[in-house]
Amino acid sequence: MVTLQQLVFKLSEFWASRGCLIQQPLDIEMGAGTMHPETFLRVLGPDHWNVAYVQPSRRPADGRFGENPNRLFKHHQFQVVLKPAPDEVQQMYLQSLEACGIDLRAHDVRFEEDNWESPTLGAWGIGWQVLFDGQEITQFTYFQQAGGVDLSPISVELTYGLERFAMALQDVDDVFDLEWAPGVTYREVRHRDEVEQSKYAFGQIDMPAAELHAVHRRLFDEYRAMSETLLRSGLALPALDYCLKCSHMFNLLDASGGIGVTERMAYILKVRQMAVAIARKWTGVEEIVKL
Amino acid sequence: MWFFNSQLTIHQFSNSPIHQFTKFMDREVLIEIGVEELPAAWLPALTRQLAERVKARLDEYRIPPDGPVESFGTPRRLTARVARIAERQEDLEETVSGPPVSAAFGADGQPTQAALGFAKKQGVPVEQLARVQTAKGEYLACQRRQRGRSAVDTLPDILTAVLRDLTFPKQMHWDAKLDDGRGELLFGRPIRWLLFLYGGRVVPVTIGRTAGASGPQVQDVQSGALTYGHRFLATSGRAGRSVKVRTFEEYRARLAECFVVLDHSERRDRIARDLEAHARRLGGRVHLKRHAPLIEEVADLVEFPGVVAGFYDRAFLALPEEVLTTTLVHHQHYFPVTTDGGALKEAFLAVVNTQPADERVIAKNAERVVTARLRDAKFFWESDRKVPLESRLERLDTVLFHKKLGSYRDKTERIERLAGWIAAEALGRPEDSRHATRAARLAKADLTTDMVFEFPELQGVMGGIYAEAEGEPEEVWKAIYHQYLPVGVEADSPPDRIQLGAATISWTALSLADKLDTVAGLSIAGERLSGSRDPFGLRRQLQGIVRILVDLHELTGLSAEPRIADLVARAGVGFGVQPDNWLPTVLADYAVAERARHLFRTRGFDFGELNAVVPPDFDGSPRRARLILSALQTLRGSEDLHALAILFKRVKNITKETATGGEIDRDALAEPAERALLEQIDARRPRVDAAVGRSDYRGAFAEIAGLRAPVDRFFTEVFVMAEDARLRSARLALMASLRDLVLHLADISEIIPQTE
Repeated sequence: MVTLQQLVFKLSEFWASRGCLIQQPLDIEMGAGTMHPETFLRVLGPDHWNVAYVQPSRRPADGRFGENPNRLFKHHQFQVVLKPAPDEVQQMYLQSLEACGIDLRAHDVRFEEDNWESPTLGAWGIGWQVLFDGQEITQFTYFQQAGGVDLSPISVELTYGLERFAMALQDVDDVFDLEWAPGVTYREVRHRDEVEQSKYAFGQIDMPAAELHAVHRRLFDEYRAMSETLLRSGLALPALDYCLKCSHMFNLLDASGGIGVTERMAYILKVRQMAVAIARKWTGVEEIVKL
Repeated sequence: MWFFNSQLTIHQFSNSPIHQFTKFMDREVLIEIGVEELPAAWLPALTRQLAERVKARLDEYRIPPDGPVESFGTPRRLTARVARIAERQEDLEETVSGPPVSAAFGADGQPTQAALGFAKKQGVPVEQLARVQTAKGEYLACQRRQRGRSAVDTLPDILTAVLRDLTFPKQMHWDAKLDDGRGELLFGRPIRWLLFLYGGRVVPVTIGRTAGASGPQVQDVQSGALTYGHRFLATSGRAGRSVKVRTFEEYRARLAECFVVLDHSERRDRIARDLEAHARRLGGRVHLKRHAPLIEEVADLVEFPGVVAGFYDRAFLALPEEVLTTTLVHHQHYFPVTTDGGALKEAFLAVVNTQPADERVIAKNAERVVTARLRDAKFFWESDRKVPLESRLERLDTVLFHKKLGSYRDKTERIERLAGWIAAEALGRPEDSRHATRAARLAKADLTTDMVFEFPELQGVMGGIYAEAEGEPEEVWKAIYHQYLPVGVEADSPPDRIQLGAATISWTALSLADKLDTVAGLSIAGERLSGSRDPFGLRRQLQGIVRILVDLHELTGLSAEPRIADLVARAGVGFGVQPDNWLPTVLADYAVAERARHLFRTRGFDFGELNAVVPPDFDGSPRRARLILSALQTLRGSEDLHALAILFKRVKNITKETATGGEIDRDALAEPAERALLEQIDARRPRVDAAVGRSDYRGAFAEIAGLRAPVDRFFTEVFVMAEDARLRSARLALMASLRDLVLHLADISEIIPQTE
């Protein structure tokens, strides 16, 4: 039995042995590991870089009060970025599955077309979802653009959905039945978090919905102003921190039904503009450092 | 560069005595482009494209293949094979023209600078230049003979060109380049190996890597004699290791040993057989015909197909069949198992890329995914029904249809009015207007359901199912259910009258109203159609409108012949637009006539017939056009009609300046031939009208064909452009009335081939 934490160890060890730096999660709320500067910024510019890390990913709209066996407010991604993408990357990926104890001959592992796009990051890529006996366990993407910038060289991003992967490995039907550590279930570690975060995300708190929406809107505007100030000051990384906070506020507004259709597009555009400006600044900074 | 067949040296392929020996060798060309998994949806077209491009490039390089170019595709390889090609390019002979002879020699007969310059450029003495006679006079010329290069020297350029030629729905950067002066090589997925053999020997081609990426882990791709088997399966040794081959026969055989079935049709047939066998073992069956597209698709997702059976809880069978099928087929690419009677069983079949020792290992995981999805669907099925469709209309306010045209709530209000009008006025069935309006009112409500949010492909279908569950009559729920149809242009594409049941009229009204509203709205919003740009699938919507109107009688039993212009105009009213200037623009911008012509072409009508009945500015009734086309097609052999069609061209030409509807000055017409024609037209006009009134277009054409003799006689005996102005104008008016009588049916002059 591979516990969830062993899965993290095994993947970390495997990718470290393939030349990856093991980074840590960014300590800011985000929807996907791609938004971590180790991916979003490192894929920009010419420098080669190999990195892996776990990133807790918050998706307020997917919160289900801990009642759905497959959906979570917060799940965990194991993120690998290889720049440039090695010729053998598919082979390496499959070896990582073997390192986690999978017998590839006994299962049906397939690469099925699934291109990835993030309108808020101005990023997109070509790739597959990796299906393990019909279950998607990894998103495999050759990045083509990030922050509206064409990439060269091309990076490859491997995003393992840790909970789903572990469910297949442990043969359990309910995410809360996963074994996190020997004798400790996912339920014990995370259930209360799911219940409380879902209540917050869907506005079941001691505050009228309109007021909650107003708070999130105000925070969005303040974070955005801060991000712009930091960017004007030439600081791409702190600016990205505040951009991510904006993105999370937007996700919360969206989940709690605080945004109309037209407004929704406008919010996405605002985050995207921030992300694009940060990407430009970052590449500029890199050039100056080189000089 | 590594050569497979090292005892051969390059000079054997050059112009040397040994060259003769090589003629006896196998001259096969084998190309395999090894790729990371290509999308299944691309493979059929890509495989075809590869053969076409290889053939075209061989022709262009003057190495024509002896026999067809075969091609094959699996997710990880595109393969082309030519059994035999010429061993060198055909020699090229061309004539290069120089200055005119008149300017090439001076009065003294000596060559001018022009002649000397041309000769120098061609590298021959002036006296060896030839003279050629052209339409513009006599010119100096040089015959050049370019000796063909050997095939082996040319083949690298051919493969390079083919790699550039292949097009993909979406291409990617992968840090690759070609040394052909054009730099970066984009492709559908990264290329990981190239197998390129000519007569069993490697043809050297290199795909380079960009400087910024190149390194120990990013290397050039160099052609070789190696292929690779299945990723995971091998009879012995490590799976996926390289295999050396010399010929196509060997290539195919070795791949088969390495668990790769090269031929798509072989994979497909195996899958079909395995599915049937598995289903029988489960005491059920798989509807192979209905799922034919899925079988084609999964055959391109695997290299070595196998089938695994999985099960789900019987309780899920309470879900609508459409939901179960969509989950299995569209989301998971699995095949539903049914009883002999066609009812779903709690089992499915998954096509996998392996033949596992223990099916259950894979099945358990597949079942977990299916169960999770069905559990979600069951939750939506139960929660959606707690909110009636009617009360969802308010929420449609928040669902945007188009930024300039408002929400789906706005659209709903427009199509309610339009569908009611179509039923009552355009189809002449006021008694069905109420059902059409009701169906339109509820048509878009399912866009706010969780089920449609999760399963967008069930929009319409889910609305119909929920409407039925709420007790709406068949006229209403079936109209909603099928509202997004028809998709195909074929006469038998769904829905048919049996599927529509009591809802034939209400469905026709709703389906037309929805599509017409989109077409009119997008035109008003200024959306343009161009090669690749097709907002909201406009072409398909227009095709749907035309299809319904063409087959209106078969779909509804009605004989109404609504004009497409009237319907579009009415849809414009919903946006407060007057048709005067706008209507011709929308019909032209969206090439409405072309949609009708496309449909009729697929139904077997030729260009002449289409030009006669469906001109580029066509805006009439598609059903009437179909009936006229059929009549015209059956009567084309008629000698009278054919002869009249030839004469009709003269009629049209002579009356180019003559207006429609002019009064004929009968007293001015005195010649027997013109009196006879006038009498014939007078006699036949009411009979033509009566036939048209009965939609008897054969009868109408037969009446018109009867005019052949009097028209013929008229042109023989009467000179239309008489000196006398009154007489001339009377004769022109007679011709114009004949013209208009015929044009009312079709421009029959178009059925005559241009050469006659």
